[in-house]
Amino acid sequence: MTAVDAAPLWAVGTYADGHGRPAPWEISHDEINRDIGVATTVLTQLGVVGRRVLWCSMLSQAGQHWPYVCGTVLAGAKLSCADSTFGEAMRVSMFLRLMDYDAVLGVTNDLLDGLDASGRAPADVFAGVRVLGAYPGAYERLAAAGLTPTRVALCGPAIAIGREPAGPAFVPAAEWELVDLGDRVGITALQPRATSFIRTPIAVRGTIVDGGIVPVSA
Amino acid sequence: MTAIPAADSKFFNADVETMSRADLEALQLERLLEVIPFAYERAPLIREAWEAAKVHPRDIRTLADFRERVPFIDKDAVRRFRDERGDPYGGLLCVDPDDLTGVGSTSGTTGDPTLVPEMWGGAGLSSPSIITRDLWGWGVRPGDYVMLVLFTFRGPTYGLFQHSLQTTPILFDFDPAEMERFCELSLRYRPTAVYNFGSVLINAVKDVCDRRGFDPRDVFSSYVGVTFAGEPLSPRARALAESWGVPLYEHGNVGDVTGSFECVARDGLHAWEDTVIVEGIDEDADGRCELVATALNNRISPLLRFRSDDIVRLSTDTCACGRTHVRMWPVGRKSDEVLVDGLSVLPLDVWGAVESVDACAMGLFQIVRTAREVDRLRLRVGYAPDWSARLDGVRDGVQAAVLAATGTEPEVELVPNEALLRLGPPHKIPRVAKS
Repeated sequence: MTAVDAAPLWAVGTYADGHGRPAPWEISHDEINRDIGVATTVLTQLGVVGRRVLWCSMLSQAGQHWPYVCGTVLAGAKLSCADSTFGEAMRVSMFLRLMDYDAVLGVTNDLLDGLDASGRAPADVFAGVRVLGAYPGAYERLAAAGLTPTRVALCGPAIAIGREPAGPAFVPAAEWELVDLGDRVGITALQPRATSFIRTPIAVRGTIVDGGIVPVSA
Repeated sequence: MTAIPAADSKFFNADVETMSRADLEALQLERLLEVIPFAYERAPLIREAWEAAKVHPRDIRTLADFRERVPFIDKDAVRRFRDERGDPYGGLLCVDPDDLTGVGSTSGTTGDPTLVPEMWGGAGLSSPSIITRDLWGWGVRPGDYVMLVLFTFRGPTYGLFQHSLQTTPILFDFDPAEMERFCELSLRYRPTAVYNFGSVLINAVKDVCDRRGFDPRDVFSSYVGVTFAGEPLSPRARALAESWGVPLYEHGNVGDVTGSFECVARDGLHAWEDTVIVEGIDEDADGRCELVATALNNRISPLLRFRSDDIVRLSTDTCACGRTHVRMWPVGRKSDEVLVDGLSVLPLDVWGAVESVDACAMGLFQIVRTAREVDRLRLRVGYAPDWSARLDGVRDGVQAAVLAATGTEPEVELVPNEALLRLGPPHKIPRVAKS
């Protein structure tokens, strides 16, 4: 799908290109509004309605995460946010100590390092979390700790989220398509966007399964 | 939502921003007399504090009554209530938890973060006063690009930039590693404002410009306002930014109730008094006092007479910019002070000395404060990785510089910069550590 004239923009975000380098990503109001609708559906299907959801992310990823942040509220769930860094392990464990969360999405290696450094075992911190979405690396560590994480992967300008533990992670099918470029993964936008994505190489590595991705840690 | 004013308007909302002191206090009293019974009836911590002080909302009819009779609360009281009663909201929540759309949190600089319950739709803030009025005053206008260099734990606050200001944010993490991208996109999009910057990032911009051959004056040439917050700018970072012509503005917290910003007059930070009552208590001979804040518009978990632990000077004199709202000059945090053999030392007292040592130019350090009164000043100081083979000389340099600045020679523990940067919250590291 080709780029559209979208000024003024909603934001300029960033995504990791095929070499893992940050690339600027112009985002229109139309596409973010569309993405919010799609994200609301994804979260509703995950069953978080009426429950608490903690998103771990970075502001530079807001182009990818904002639809899900809004979608959490629009789906009728309660939203909390933390950065996905070493230092924010303190905040993540505080939230989970004080309240019950149905879903924690976006767990990273850095967060788990922070939990380790503060002597908090992930199996204790995340006990009772029904949907524990983790990026490559963190996913494997949580599984090794006896938890049943769900796969989450940043696929360039989109987020892929698993529908069940051990299954592949999916980008919203109405908006994006993951493509196998041989030695790497690419992404194509299926709807008009301010930035053109046509088989654009992205940083995530893994295998495409049933249209989703089973990512591997770097 | 307040309508966007004409582009040449000096103020975003002139009627409110330049309101006379008498009108402002009348507005505050009207809002106060609504929020007091609201909080008293619903927030158990407020109720307990008032009952212990033998005060009832009907006793409060004037701002003078409020200042004389209403008891203080502080963050320790909130944490204590939370831990003793098992109430995650610390006895402050005034609505049914089922009605919340989300729960954010405070930064956690002084310890365990506390929860900030939220309801999308405006129950927390009734007008787009925070940020919008301030950035408008600097000259930011609809259609501009604004660099957002932030964290996410406050929740989706950045919607303000798209909606109230109608600007386009460019999104960054508060991370020195982001500064190469920051410089590139500053040159490409020519933004007019940064929200938020700090000493560590200014030093990182210098490194990027040195390495990539960018002219930092060109990088910042389009900006009308660059705000820094969380902690003061270090002397080195301020000097660098000023040499590049960066239009710096300080931004601060107002007791977990709201924010404050410098205006173009750069003579104190304005807090918007139609949203908050600002008081100073325990004022000393130099006019330094502890900041106390009361939320006027919050109908979710309003803080009433919240002691901030922040030491400030205050003035309600009309500012040269024309605004009438209170101004504050941050001095430091009460709980950051250590007395070394009776000598008062605050982080700002040692900052310039630490960063004067080349290996420690990032200005990353902590005062190790095992008690308020100590025999010897203990510092944990960050160094750049390429100095790791010369640490004895670095330690000697820091000790000598701090001795010269404060009159006391510190015990210095050196750690890599990265070890301190990881401690976040990302826009500041805790400048005081208990161990």
